[in-house]
Amino acid sequence: TLAKKIKEDKMSNLVEEYFEAHSSSKVLTSDRTLQKLRKRRLNQQTLHDILKKAPLAYAAEIKELNQQHESLFSKWMLQLHLGFNIVLYGLGSKRDLLERFRTSVLQDSVHLVVNGYFPSITVRSILNSITEEVLDHIGTFRSPLDQLEFIIKRFKEDSSLELYVLIHNLDSQMLRGERSQQILAQLSSLPSIYLIASIDHINAPLMWDQAKLSLYNWLWYETTTFSPYVEETSYENSLLVQQSGSLALSSLTHVLRSLTLNARGIFRLLAQYQLENKDNPSYPGLSFQDFYQQCREAFLVNSDLTLRAQLTEFRDHKLIRTKRGADGVEYLLIPVDDSTLTDFLEKEDEDV
Amino acid sequence: QQVQEDLNKQLFDNLVSFLRRSHSEFQEKTTEWTCRMKSREIPTAALVLGVNVTDHDLTFRSLSEVLQNNITPYIALLEAKDCPGIKNLMQKLMGQLMNCYVDVDSLEDEDYVQVSQNRIRCSMTSLTNWYETVTKKTDSETPSKKRTSSSRDWQSPPVVVIFKDMESFTTKVLQDFIVISSQHIRELPLVLIFGIATSPMIIHSLLPHSVSSLLCIELFQSLSCKEHLSTIIDKLLLTAQFPFKLGEKVLQVLINIFLYHDLSVQNFIKGFQLCIVEHFYSQPLSVLCCQPVDAKKRVNSLSHDQCENIRKLPSFRRYVESQVSEKQIALLTADSFLKEITQKLLEDLRVYHENYVSVLRCLHVFTSSLPKYPLGKQIRELHCACLENRVWETEEYESSLQLARMLNKSDLVTMLQQCVEIFVSSSGNEFDKTVEKLKEFLTQFQKLEAEAFQERDVSVSSQKELQKKTDLYHLQKTLLELKESRRSKKLTKFEMLRFEVVDYIDSLVRNYLVPADHKTLHEIAYFNTASVLRGHLNAAPRIALHTALNNPYCYLKNQALKSDGGRISNKAPDICIVYKLHLECGRLINLVDWLEAFSTVVMAVEGPNADAASSDQVDDIIHARFIRAVSELELLGFIKPSKRKTDHVARLTWGGC
Repeated sequence: TLAKKIKEDKMSNLVEEYFEAHSSSKVLTSDRTLQKLRKRRLNQQTLHDILKKAPLAYAAEIKELNQQHESLFSKWMLQLHLGFNIVLYGLGSKRDLLERFRTSVLQDSVHLVVNGYFPSITVRSILNSITEEVLDHIGTFRSPLDQLEFIIKRFKEDSSLELYVLIHNLDSQMLRGERSQQILAQLSSLPSIYLIASIDHINAPLMWDQAKLSLYNWLWYETTTFSPYVEETSYENSLLVQQSGSLALSSLTHVLRSLTLNARGIFRLLAQYQLENKDNPSYPGLSFQDFYQQCREAFLVNSDLTLRAQLTEFRDHKLIRTKRGADGVEYLLIPVDDSTLTDFLEKEDEDV
Repeated sequence: QQVQEDLNKQLFDNLVSFLRRSHSEFQEKTTEWTCRMKSREIPTAALVLGVNVTDHDLTFRSLSEVLQNNITPYIALLEAKDCPGIKNLMQKLMGQLMNCYVDVDSLEDEDYVQVSQNRIRCSMTSLTNWYETVTKKTDSETPSKKRTSSSRDWQSPPVVVIFKDMESFTTKVLQDFIVISSQHIRELPLVLIFGIATSPMIIHSLLPHSVSSLLCIELFQSLSCKEHLSTIIDKLLLTAQFPFKLGEKVLQVLINIFLYHDLSVQNFIKGFQLCIVEHFYSQPLSVLCCQPVDAKKRVNSLSHDQCENIRKLPSFRRYVESQVSEKQIALLTADSFLKEITQKLLEDLRVYHENYVSVLRCLHVFTSSLPKYPLGKQIRELHCACLENRVWETEEYESSLQLARMLNKSDLVTMLQQCVEIFVSSSGNEFDKTVEKLKEFLTQFQKLEAEAFQERDVSVSSQKELQKKTDLYHLQKTLLELKESRRSKKLTKFEMLRFEVVDYIDSLVRNYLVPADHKTLHEIAYFNTASVLRGHLNAAPRIALHTALNNPYCYLKNQALKSDGGRISNKAPDICIVYKLHLECGRLINLVDWLEAFSTVVMAVEGPNADAASSDQVDDIIHARFIRAVSELELLGFIKPSKRKTDHVARLTWGGC
């Protein structure tokens, strides 16, 4: 039939598209980098401030959408009590929606909010907060499984206990593991624990197999809100935001300002050598012996020992990294990307 | 809501009892077998249960119950997720066995404490020691105790260990456990039961020969889940007992989810439950969906608003339009008259159900034996076909009737007998006539049999005549006559009767199998919004994201967002623009180019009114918005940072989605 044929065509197209996308190992993109951009990189704080100032587009329509979702609250309550658990999907942050659900409906009942997007959340912390806050149990458990068993036992014994659990971003990095999902699924299968969760990742349903799905007993609700993921992405380390983890130009100059002239020269030498070899992918770094030789020739050090002391200082400031090669020789590298290094050298030249 | 809960409960009890019954046979076999086994090797029962893992819980629970009652108090049920290592497995095993024992015996608290202390150092030797003491205790106990009576055939009752999900155990743990326990088989009579989801081959692929030779395996097959489904449909949908019914589309959705996705009876029941909840929540008139006695009371106590609701029902409107004008006015204005009529209609609906079921079964008897099954093999297919449309208008029905007209007699007779049984057993009293008619058919058939003998005699005599006459003229004449009769194919009596029967069945179908949609007030009992059900049970989050990103107009009703087909207006939310731009890229995306493309699109909107002086600030804002949109895409899983090239991100999807 025609419809089937069209579907088949679509299917084969999809397959072809996949192989098209993954066929050539060579990818054609321009070589421009953000470094070349005139603009400086924004850091987290300024980004936040700027975004606050920018008006949100289509606020009225988004509000209308939210009101539509809010009208479902009483239905959710009924379904939760009938043993289903609710999962929300769709574009946009569902945090505010859940928060409103909490404030409007769950005000008087015992509830637990889990911020899944928080990068240091673990299942153990969830279980801990249940045992400590809800069940008033003081004491430690050997493993989360033991803890889970204890919780299940308590909830089965005492039928008056009721707990609403709201999980923002059930599919976040920390909770998406198999074991944590298993534990959460078992928790949610308890009749007196009511779970509402939200998912965002496109592949989130991949983390549940049939057994877990039946434990979760999901009812799916599409809640597309279009509201920005403010809290959720604030922990997401973006490429575009200045990262505190890696070495930035400003910190590099700061550290080097405080050094002696000779020490700065040593660093410069190493940086220049690294830049000369930047096109060579198998460049292992500068070996210590060669480096010592070059420093001596430039009258920067007079003995092996002073160079070593200097390098130790660099290493303490994370300006260099040493790597032992296959032949047992120590190689020195600067763990900063090349463009930052070039900028640094240019600036140094201006200063001198 | 209370009604609904009652209904739910009723339904579940029914289901559970049914499941129990279906398993009981299977369980009895297993228990019997456990009794018999006594050997050097570890006796092992492999239960092949099918891929619907979620349904097995109930099976195992009832199995262990049966075992506990009949054979042995020592049962441990192990799940793969509790046993990552041999140590955990032993701990779990010990704990369960001792608890089992405590449960059965209900000992004093001291012993309980002692048991829980024991858990800390669990080894096979302590297990055997424990077992020895327990058996000694039971042996030395007085005969008045229950224990000894239950295990009188046994010097020592066996310890049963059930591995619930064989496939997900780590091989190492399983092998170790088997080897260890085989060493202790003399002191500790173990029996293993494996629950297998796939095929018995898995035992051999999981366990090497040296280990599997320690086992004495016997295979048991459980019922296939399809049979479960058909019985459940039989019990739930095709009875007049429950007032709540499923519409055709909803049933189709549920069956499709079952057959094409998970084969899980549990999920089917869950879907059914959801239907009930939805129906009673969304349809204001669902209060009337209850047993006839209650319905009468409730109809009488309807408020004016509820009466208005009844008037609004489309099926009721159709009914009103078909009435004479005075009655129309009365129906639309006077509440009391409406209530009266409503009661009558509800009664009609109930009677319709009863008749429907028996006629449906009858028709199924006929169609299920036809070659190629034009109307389907299972009764559920027939049910769907009947609900969907007028079944007698379909091609399949036509062809099946044609096939039925060619049935031979013995089949026809047995079918008729089956139909008679169905009608007799059905509660509806309308079928007295039908039964009579069918019985009449049967007697006619019996008569036919007798007549057939005579007929044969006649034909034989005519043959003889043919042989006798040697006159050429006469011969020619008779031959011509014979030919004539053969050409005209005069119908035999049997054939006539056969046509009559088939026509009668046809008329039955036409009378009773009218699809429910054509009945008045069917909205009260039928739940028919399949889209809701599909959305909640079988959701497609990716499609939702795709439409929201591609075509935000679906959600945000703003005229500015309206666009045709693939093009996107530049006034769309940031994330949509960024997404659209990213679709045009290959596997890697350069952030700088992306940013520039984004700012060109956005500037096109703001360009006219943004002056040069504040362009720097505008730039900053656009930059920030871009960052936000990109990190949102990262959160959604469309892109991820790549190390292969500086300032590039890798795309994780392909093609247009």
